[in-house]
Amino acid sequence: MPRKSKFDKSKTCIKCKTARGNIVIRHAVYCKTCFTPLVVTKYKRCLDPHINAAPDGQRRSTLKASGNLLIGLSGGLGSTVLLDITSRCYFSTKSSTEDGRKGGKAHPKNDRVWKQASVCFVDTSRAFSEGVTKDRSEDIRAMVEQHKEFEFIVLRLEDAFDISWWKQLGGYVPSSDIRANLANEDLVITEAHLQSSDPVASLRSYLSSLPTATAVRSSINTLARLLLLHTARSMQCSHLLLGTSLTSLSISLINSIAQGGGFNVLEESFEEWTPQIARSAQDASSDSPHLAGGVCTVRVVRPLRDIGMKECAAWAWWNGLQVVGKDRTFDPDGKQTIGGLTKDFIVGLERDYPSTVSTIARTCAKLAPKNEPDGQCIVCERPAQRGIQDWKSRISIRSLEPPSPHPPHVASDDPPPISLTPHLCYACHTTLISRSSRSTVQNGAEASLAPLPVWTRSALVESDAADVMGTKRLVDHEDMRNAIGEFLLHD
Amino acid sequence: MPDSQPDSSHSDSNLSQNEPKIPLRVEFSGGLELLFSNQRSHRITLPSTVPHGDGTTKPTDITYLIDWLRRNLLKERAELFTDGATVRPGILVLVNDSDWELEGEGDYQLRPGDEIVFISTLHGG
Repeated sequence: MPRKSKFDKSKTCIKCKTARGNIVIRHAVYCKTCFTPLVVTKYKRCLDPHINAAPDGQRRSTLKASGNLLIGLSGGLGSTVLLDITSRCYFSTKSSTEDGRKGGKAHPKNDRVWKQASVCFVDTSRAFSEGVTKDRSEDIRAMVEQHKEFEFIVLRLEDAFDISWWKQLGGYVPSSDIRANLANEDLVITEAHLQSSDPVASLRSYLSSLPTATAVRSSINTLARLLLLHTARSMQCSHLLLGTSLTSLSISLINSIAQGGGFNVLEESFEEWTPQIARSAQDASSDSPHLAGGVCTVRVVRPLRDIGMKECAAWAWWNGLQVVGKDRTFDPDGKQTIGGLTKDFIVGLERDYPSTVSTIARTCAKLAPKNEPDGQCIVCERPAQRGIQDWKSRISIRSLEPPSPHPPHVASDDPPPISLTPHLCYACHTTLISRSSRSTVQNGAEASLAPLPVWTRSALVESDAADVMGTKRLVDHEDMRNAIGEFLLHD
Repeated sequence: MPDSQPDSSHSDSNLSQNEPKIPLRVEFSGGLELLFSNQRSHRITLPSTVPHGDGTTKPTDITYLIDWLRRNLLKERAELFTDGATVRPGILVLVNDSDWELEGEGDYQLRPGDEIVFISTLHGG
C-alpha cells in the first residue's frame, strides 16, 4: 500500500503560491522565502504581548520593556535560534532608513525595547564526575561574541550552593549550614555550624542524595532555572527568554505532569516569577521601573513555543548558525529518566503525526488549577498547592506515631524537629522522596544529609513558620504486610 | 551554507571502473557531526545502481545512502543516527535544500551532484 503523503496538496508554497516548496510544516508546504517571515511572525506573536508592563488590549502601542533582558542560552538548537531571531528583530543595528522604519533615528518608536541585554549560560559540567561532560562555556562565548549587543555571563550549576554568589546578589545568608534528611518523607532539617564548604562538593552531594535518575535530571533543570531567575532579578531584568520550542515545550509539559507538576502546568509555557517576599523586601525601597508594588517580577517568556524543532533546525541551517550542542544527547543515563523517555516518545510522535505535538501544548494551555495557590515552594519557587500533606495522608496508609512519654499539657524539653515538607510543592516533595525499584540511593538511615540550595536555606531561616513535624508517618511495605498478615491467603 | 571545514572524500569500495557513478556531497549538522569523526562535510561517490533483494538491482536512493553512511562513515552509537532502514526521529534531511518529505523521503533516487544534509534536532532548547 502506498504511504500517505506528508504534505496536503502540491509541492508549491501555500503562502506565495508560486515558488516550489522547501519545507513541510505540519502538512503545509512553504518555500524558503516565505519561511523566514512565518517564523518571525510566530516569534513576535508569542513575545510582543508580554513586553509592555501593562497589556495594551486592542491598541498597538510602542513596545517598551520596564527592565532589561536576559536570554538563557544552553547551546542547544532552540536557544541558538532564539538568540539569532532576538538579535535580528530587536537589536538590529540597521539605520531607520535601511530597514524601512519611519520617524528617524530619534523617534521614540525606534528606541530599543530593552536598554540592556545579556546572555546567560549555565554550565552543568561539574554536576557529574570529571570527564562525563565537558565545559562548553568557551565555545558558547565565541558564539555569543558574534552578537556585539549582548553581554555574556557564565553561571555554574554549583553557584546554587555558593554563599559568595548568593551574597553578591544581595541574598540573606544564614549563619548555619542547613541540611535535609531525604531518608523519609518528613525531610527533617538539621543545622550545623557554617563551614566553608566547596560548592561543587555540595552540588554533587545534593544530586547523589536524590532517589532516582529522573529526580537528578529534574533537579538540575530546577537549579538552572532558579540561577537564571535570580540573576535576572539582580540585573534588573523584566524578561527572561528561553529557547523552548513547541516540541520541547510538549516534552516538558508531559514530563512535568508525569512527575507531579500538574498544578504548575501553566508556568511551563509562561511564568511571572516573583522571588520570596521576605527576600525581596529590600527591593521594595528601590525605585526601579519594573518593580510593581515594591516586588520585582521577572516574566519568563518562551517565544519559540509555536515553532517546532524542525523549523528551528531549518532556520539554523539556512541562516548558517553554528549549534554548539549539548552533551546530554550522548549521556546514556538520560535515557532512563521520565524526561528521556518522554522525549523519545514525543520526537517519534512528531515524525509520524506532526500535528499531535502542537495539540499537546494547545490542550495544556487550556488547563487551570482548581484551587488557589498557597504561597511558593522554597525549592522551585513556583506556586504551591494548598493542603498537599493532608491530601497525601488521605490517599496513603499511615499509622500514628507511638504516644509521647510526656502528657499533652507538658511540653517536651527537646525542640520539635523542623520539617522541609510543608514548604514544598507536590512535585518537589515527590522529586526528593520518591523511590523506585531502581533507586540511586539506599533507603533509611544510610542516606546522607543533603545540602540545600542557597535560596532554600535562606527562605527556611526567614520563614516564621518553623513547622513541627507531622505526627503521622508513612507505613512501609513490611509493616503493611504484618498488619494484614492474618487475612492473606497462602499459595 | 558556508563551511569552514575541508571536505573528506570517500567512495564505495565495490565501485567498478565502468559503472556509472554518483558523486554526492553529504553534510552533518546540529551535533550529528560528532558521530562522524567531527567532520561536517563529506564528498562521497556511490554506484548508480545497487543490489535489491533477489538478484535484482535498483537505482541508488537515500535509503541506500543512509545504510552506506552507517556502514562506512559512522564512528559510534549507530542508534543515534539510524532507526531501522531510515534515520532516527528528530533528524531533518534536506535534499538540495528541500525537505526530503517533498522528495519521497528514502525513495528519492540520487543524482550526480546532489547535496544531502542531515540535521539533528535532538539538542533541545
